[in-house]
Amino acid sequence: MALDAVFRDQWGRVLATLVGILGDLELAENAAAEAFAVAAERWPRDGEPANPTGWLITTARNRAIDQLRRQQVLAAKTTLLARDLEAGPQEALMDDAATIPDERLELIFTCCHPALALEAQVALTLRTLGGLSTDEIALAFLVPFETTSKRLTRAKHKIRDAGIPFAVPPDHQLPDRLAAVLTVIYLIFNQGWGGGRVDLAAEAIHLGRALADLMPDEPEVLALLALMLLHDARKAARLRDGQVVPLDDQDRTLWDTPQLNEGRALLQQAMTRRRTGPYLVQAAIADLHLYQPRDWPQIAALYETLARQTGSPIVEMNRAIAVAEIDGPEAGLAILDRLDLDHYRYFHSTRADLLRRAGRPSAAHHAYRRALDLAQTEPEQRFLQDRLAETTPSVPRQPGCATT
Amino acid sequence: MQYALLAYAPPEDTDRATRPIPVTLAARLDRPDVAGWARLHAAESATTLRNDDGQMLPTDGPFIDSKEYLAGLFLIEADNLDGALALAGELLQETRPGTAIEVRPILDGRSRGA
Repeated sequence: MALDAVFRDQWGRVLATLVGILGDLELAENAAAEAFAVAAERWPRDGEPANPTGWLITTARNRAIDQLRRQQVLAAKTTLLARDLEAGPQEALMDDAATIPDERLELIFTCCHPALALEAQVALTLRTLGGLSTDEIALAFLVPFETTSKRLTRAKHKIRDAGIPFAVPPDHQLPDRLAAVLTVIYLIFNQGWGGGRVDLAAEAIHLGRALADLMPDEPEVLALLALMLLHDARKAARLRDGQVVPLDDQDRTLWDTPQLNEGRALLQQAMTRRRTGPYLVQAAIADLHLYQPRDWPQIAALYETLARQTGSPIVEMNRAIAVAEIDGPEAGLAILDRLDLDHYRYFHSTRADLLRRAGRPSAAHHAYRRALDLAQTEPEQRFLQDRLAETTPSVPRQPGCATT
Repeated sequence: MQYALLAYAPPEDTDRATRPIPVTLAARLDRPDVAGWARLHAAESATTLRNDDGQMLPTDGPFIDSKEYLAGLFLIEADNLDGALALAGELLQETRPGTAIEVRPILDGRSRGA
């Protein structure tokens, strides 16, 4: 239903403005939910108002004022609200769309504050800016509803009680705080791959777009959006008959070309800012991977840059893959052997692949077994089971028919 | 001599923000031998700051006691948690390595300075 889309679009905007007015996330959320419920009942009957955002904010704010009046704590709660009340008729206030402050940026920095646990940051961002319900968030992360609900409530109380500011951080804190926001969005995106329960990848892209809209001069913001778009554009080609299809075997006609172009344009835009960061490097790598033949030396060099920036062993693992393409599988394996990634499922599948290509099938078999033990989704399991069968010593090797 | 008295509450005591200080306790707090006091928000509102090679790392939640012992306390003023964390970070930088500071908000109007 079209109204759903409107609501989803408006939720973050309306909620952010309400938090700005009311100074309390929980109160704002309850009021917003009430206003959206009223809209769901009235709009289909009476038609959509000329300025839906203003209507929703005004309605929600009036509901919140009613609630505060009932609680008899109006004066103590917020002076700003009291001033608004004295200012005169409320309906007039939110009539002009241009005068409604867009405070989504304040809201996202509040939700991604480092004094909140990472799971809480993620859940809160999806709830407040993404407009996902507690149910949807619980389902997406395979966490019980009660746990998610408690996590959200606790986070909202901490914001209120500990005085986490509703503000965009000052310049000297901005790089660290923005990195925290980008981490949350990218985490949401990565959760969306392979799972297929709630389309979290789409949610993350939605959040990334909003952030790029709000901070168009931050290269890392543009680069993260580019990175997500470039990955996501290959979504339709990644699975075939429930099997994971490796990049080289993917049907390129299934790639979303407009989305790839959008990602590339954003990457170019980010690169002109002359400041590099981990997302810019990752987006550049993602782009290089899409050309045939692949420029492995440049990919390896960029992974080296990224490893320096992040100190991440997973990046080193990816560099090993590139090095294996240039200098052979043993060179890649030499890098892998230095890494402490035994808990990481893709480490074992990567190692297995290089071992197989190095002509060491029994070691490869062992590594595929380990990868299969750690695999989390059915397509991954099916892919690994096939590889496992291929490397079983007594069975003659079969061509990789499932992926071609 | 001066002493610090540290009051601990059971975890199920969660509605303290809405509960007034008992009248009899308030009377004792007014005595001149009580130099200062503060009533704190529950542990769930805490943030713990650690010094990791000069970088101040905040984590959600109270300081979990193992072998470390409570070594002191500061009462500070700040506009919001960012301000409190910044000041806590400055103080932490001047303390011995291995020190952590738990930042806990004081309940509104529930404190008296020394």
